[in-house]
Amino acid sequence: MHLCAPTLKRLAAVLAAALCASGFIAAARAAAAPSREGVEFFEKQIRPLLAERCYECHGADSKKRKGGLRLDSREGVLAGGHSGPALVPGKPDSSLLIKAVRYSDDDLQMPPKHKLPDEAIAALEQWVNMGAPDPREGGAAANYGIDIAEARQFWSLRPVEDPPPPTVRNKRWAHNGIDRFILAKLEARNMAPAPDATKRTLLRRATFDLTGLPPTPEEMDAFLNDHSPNPFEKVVDRLLASPHYGERWGRHWLDVVRYADTSGCNSDFPVATAFRYRNYVIDSFNRDKPYDRFLREQIAGDLLPSSSDEERFEQIIATGYLAISRRFGSRANEFHLTIEDTLDNLGKSVLGLSLACARCHDHKFDPVPMRDYYALYGIFNSTRYAFPGTEIYRHAKDFIPLTSSERAEEVLKYQSDLAALDNEIEKLKEQRRALERANAGSGGADESDGSREKLATITAALDAAQSKQKELADNPPDVEKAYAVADGKTEDAKLHLRGDPRKPGETVPRGFLQVLGSKSLPSDESGSGRRQLAEWLTGADNPLTARVMVNRIWQHHFGRGIVRSSTDFGTRGDAPTHPELLDYLASRFVESGWSIKAMHKLIMLSHAYQMSSAEYAKHALADPNNDSFWRFNRRRLDAEEIRDAMLAVSGALDRTMGGAHPFPPENTWRYTQHKPFVAVYETDKRSIYLMQQRIKKHPFLEMFDGADTNATTGNRPVSTTPLQALFMMNDPFAHQQADRFAARIAAEFGDEAKQIDYACRLAFGRPATREEIQTGRAYLAECRDALSETDVPTDAQPRAALASFCRVLLSSNEFVFLD
Amino acid sequence: MKHVDCGCTRRQMIRSLVSGSLLLPGIISQLLAQEARHAANPLAPRAPHFPGKAKRVIFLFMTGGVSHMDSFDPKPRLIADAGKPRNGRGAKYLAPLWEFKPGGKCGTEVSDLFPHIRECMDDICLIRSMRGDHNDHFQATLGIHTGSVSVARPSIGSWVSYGLGTENQNLPSFVVLAPDLPYAGSQVWSADFLPAVHQGTRVFPGDEPIPDLKRRSPSEKIQELELGLLDRFNRKHRQSRPTDAQLAARIKTFETAFGMQKEMPEVLDLSKETDATLKLYGLERGSTKGFAWQCLIARRMAERGVRFIELIDVGSHSNWDAHGDMKTHEPLARNVDQPIAGLLKDLKSRGMLDDTLVVWTTEFGRTPTMDGTAGRGHFNPAFSSWLAGGGVKGGIVHGKTDEYAASIVENPVHVHDFHATILHLLGFDHERLTFRHGGRDFRLTDVAGNVVKAVLA
Repeated sequence: MHLCAPTLKRLAAVLAAALCASGFIAAARAAAAPSREGVEFFEKQIRPLLAERCYECHGADSKKRKGGLRLDSREGVLAGGHSGPALVPGKPDSSLLIKAVRYSDDDLQMPPKHKLPDEAIAALEQWVNMGAPDPREGGAAANYGIDIAEARQFWSLRPVEDPPPPTVRNKRWAHNGIDRFILAKLEARNMAPAPDATKRTLLRRATFDLTGLPPTPEEMDAFLNDHSPNPFEKVVDRLLASPHYGERWGRHWLDVVRYADTSGCNSDFPVATAFRYRNYVIDSFNRDKPYDRFLREQIAGDLLPSSSDEERFEQIIATGYLAISRRFGSRANEFHLTIEDTLDNLGKSVLGLSLACARCHDHKFDPVPMRDYYALYGIFNSTRYAFPGTEIYRHAKDFIPLTSSERAEEVLKYQSDLAALDNEIEKLKEQRRALERANAGSGGADESDGSREKLATITAALDAAQSKQKELADNPPDVEKAYAVADGKTEDAKLHLRGDPRKPGETVPRGFLQVLGSKSLPSDESGSGRRQLAEWLTGADNPLTARVMVNRIWQHHFGRGIVRSSTDFGTRGDAPTHPELLDYLASRFVESGWSIKAMHKLIMLSHAYQMSSAEYAKHALADPNNDSFWRFNRRRLDAEEIRDAMLAVSGALDRTMGGAHPFPPENTWRYTQHKPFVAVYETDKRSIYLMQQRIKKHPFLEMFDGADTNATTGNRPVSTTPLQALFMMNDPFAHQQADRFAARIAAEFGDEAKQIDYACRLAFGRPATREEIQTGRAYLAECRDALSETDVPTDAQPRAALASFCRVLLSSNEFVFLD
Repeated sequence: MKHVDCGCTRRQMIRSLVSGSLLLPGIISQLLAQEARHAANPLAPRAPHFPGKAKRVIFLFMTGGVSHMDSFDPKPRLIADAGKPRNGRGAKYLAPLWEFKPGGKCGTEVSDLFPHIRECMDDICLIRSMRGDHNDHFQATLGIHTGSVSVARPSIGSWVSYGLGTENQNLPSFVVLAPDLPYAGSQVWSADFLPAVHQGTRVFPGDEPIPDLKRRSPSEKIQELELGLLDRFNRKHRQSRPTDAQLAARIKTFETAFGMQKEMPEVLDLSKETDATLKLYGLERGSTKGFAWQCLIARRMAERGVRFIELIDVGSHSNWDAHGDMKTHEPLARNVDQPIAGLLKDLKSRGMLDDTLVVWTTEFGRTPTMDGTAGRGHFNPAFSSWLAGGGVKGGIVHGKTDEYAASIVENPVHVHDFHATILHLLGFDHERLTFRHGGRDFRLTDVAGNVVKAVLA
């Protein structure tokens, strides 16, 4: 058992305290040296009972261990579980184990499904009365049975290695190290890589991959006509330098951090300033901010040094990552759920670990004990998140002013004054309700007990508070603010037994995960510990952070990660199909100074990236899931790509960066769970700039599998539904883009054949075939005929026919799939 | 039903069949292409774990929290003690406003709020011992739909669609008839991490019952031309990509969408329903308003093979949330009472009640004591719900609350138990209807739930 010293000491202290408090040192000694008859009783009556009825959940098989309790060793019984020691030798009535089997407490009934027979309960009582003699040796109780040292042997938790690329037979195929890892596996299976993609396919693939947009016909021609030695490298450089790159890759990050423009509370309050974090993410990708720095800013940007106000503001905005954690309820009393959401997200997005399981019990599959969870919990519980308002406390507070510190104090005070009035108003309303209730039974307000007077006083105070609040709310200071965090009151957290904050357990010092070589914070640390957490997450001895990120970059190029479960690198996730390649990439990533753009270039210049998505029956049988990357994976465009490509092809795409959403003015917000905030704002800007809510997804994004705004999305599912087909057939947006598309090609060319050809170049990145031109012309003629029988005016019929043709192109598989 | 992430089971089977390469590559391609067509339809009907008595569900949800002591759980003691403070010092007891009378041969007492439903009590299994985990609308509404009161999870309708597929490919498998958004919005019928095809589709009265259903091309002829050309483009594209299931699936969706365009208006067309039927539901001819319309549409959807039909009576305001005045229950009850009774009778007379499970519930009950001056507060420790048809024992009452309807004294039924029972009636072991998400197998009942055997016929 490898435990850091402070943990062991604490555990010993807790145990000693428990034993002393129960005044049972003597019995503990008795338990240490059980009498012969005690042993006999145990072996005859107790051991079989425990083995038959309890070990399944409280035994060595850690997969099922419940409540952190082991009953298969003496130490386990004495140490107890999350609720404390299982028994007090000699005192059945004070023993949790006995309470549980008696079923006397609604919350603690064991075994959970069927109460034990009375004889068995009596035997257990007698055993505890005897001092719980227990001859069993061995067994580990500390850390509730998770063996941290053993856990570190799991592939994802071992240090990153830098394996040299293997040698391969077909040396000419391998452009770089990546290819040698891929090819070595293929050669071992006697498989050959798929042939190269055509230049057209490759440019379309790379342009969507890096910018989420289709290549223009001009870009296509330039690439086809570039006969220099490295045309594709030039393309990659050009695309990486495009401002649209950040809009594409920033969106991948926003998926993972479940970005939304609303809070998620019962009334789904808008967060008018959340967009600054969205734009920060886009800018960071465009500037190729080193990933380790990107993470540190998001977790502790407010605590990092800065050399200018601009830099300081940017770092504050970065902590929007924490602020956008989900909000709950109608009041402000379910903040523990928000912290749980932060931890869940941090675990999945940065570490690839599902920490949330350790909220209620030691993680069943991964080496995350409950105390590690609450060590991290303390850090965020010591952090003050900006509060966006809820139904009952509807005024925002703790938004960070982006201004000089003097003025900032003023603005913070303004917010807290406004919010304090919410508290006062709520209190007065409660008093009034209580008074009304009291009066209701006794036939109305009564002069004699002065309740009418009291009611008048309360009403007057309420009026005053409300008008004061209105006055304040109508005159907000003109200062830009960020949805961000700051350090709050520093405090270690207590365990929440079974995840229930109303059942506090022992206090856990703030710290990090043991399995990643955690340290606790220094005991005199006065800050939340976010700065140290950020350092620890990006530190050299944390193997997960780099692995998880390179895997994610790979995933968005190849359609799947080397580890398919890109937010789960734990034992329940998928194993890497190419573990050495993953480590090779992680090493290059760190070596490059965590440059994401360098990683794109490395990956995209590999031969593996440039294969076609050809279908070989033979390979498809040997490796149907393409585990060995024998070809490129064809993929459907995602929601944003479909919408943006439709706008781009129609010529209507507004390529400027998005700003704030047109929310109603803040002093008019009266959202309740009965009438929550619900809105859809139209725009011709890119889809990343669409307003995204938590209570109700944006209808288009929901239809085409957009990211979940409530929980991390590592892999977007791809669904194919009739509602999507109806969208293409009948939605006003689809028709509008087809009309614009038709206008665009008609403005360019008068000749029908040329129009058809240009349409194909725009939509598919290739010229029309001769057959398509024939088919297209026949179609346009037939369509015009049909239109002559409709109420479409005669002079509008040719354009309407062309729009109909364009609608078909935009609906086609070739348009929405990427080879 | 275990979800297989790679979707390759059948592929692997083909692979094992042909291992040894006796089959020529051409035949192999054909087999794989066939497999692609199978994968094309995630909504194909599927068998549950064991034969279930119920084949489909009509889920009636009353928004806001129906008072149990004013509707299905008579408490004379509340009349006797009205005005007295609870436990000597708490809020005061409030007397129910409506008289209770026995209904059916079973004689189960139901209040005058629901005189029509009262006539159907012989077909209804009333549960007077429901309890949930949260006392706020948003969370409790999520809880009764998804089993989770905090974070969004797949809706019960999505789980059923995922488990059983559906009978009619021209209609969605999970339909929601809700004139207004309930608490928690569309999360209530969200598929969440289940494939989006299992999402509830909201259907509205009028000429565009689902978004984009109405043809926008200038004429039917033109739409047919477009779909013809589209098919031509897609088939050409597919020639060099014959084994890709996604491409085949997407081609199929345009056929289905076209079918939906034709069939959905037909489902909503009540012109062929007889006057007697309309009268049974209390629906005026031509009206598309109110629960009567929703109930009749539900029967028509059920007839046409829709798997899960949810009816939500009202939205997140002006609902059963009677803080101020219990009398507001009256018009809400009038809106649903006769239509629900009509639905039960209609299903029965058509022989459909045997395999259609009708569920009636709300998110929580209301306090025995007064809130404001004449209303009641939220109350999740006890409330009433009922089941009818599809393998349920009619004419019984399960569970019991104390004399103030304030706590359960017999046979508590937690929301998880309720869900486990509904799934059981459909043929599922609720512990085995799972979906792997984020490294864990999730299910509707979280880590809890027991089938309430006493209610099974």
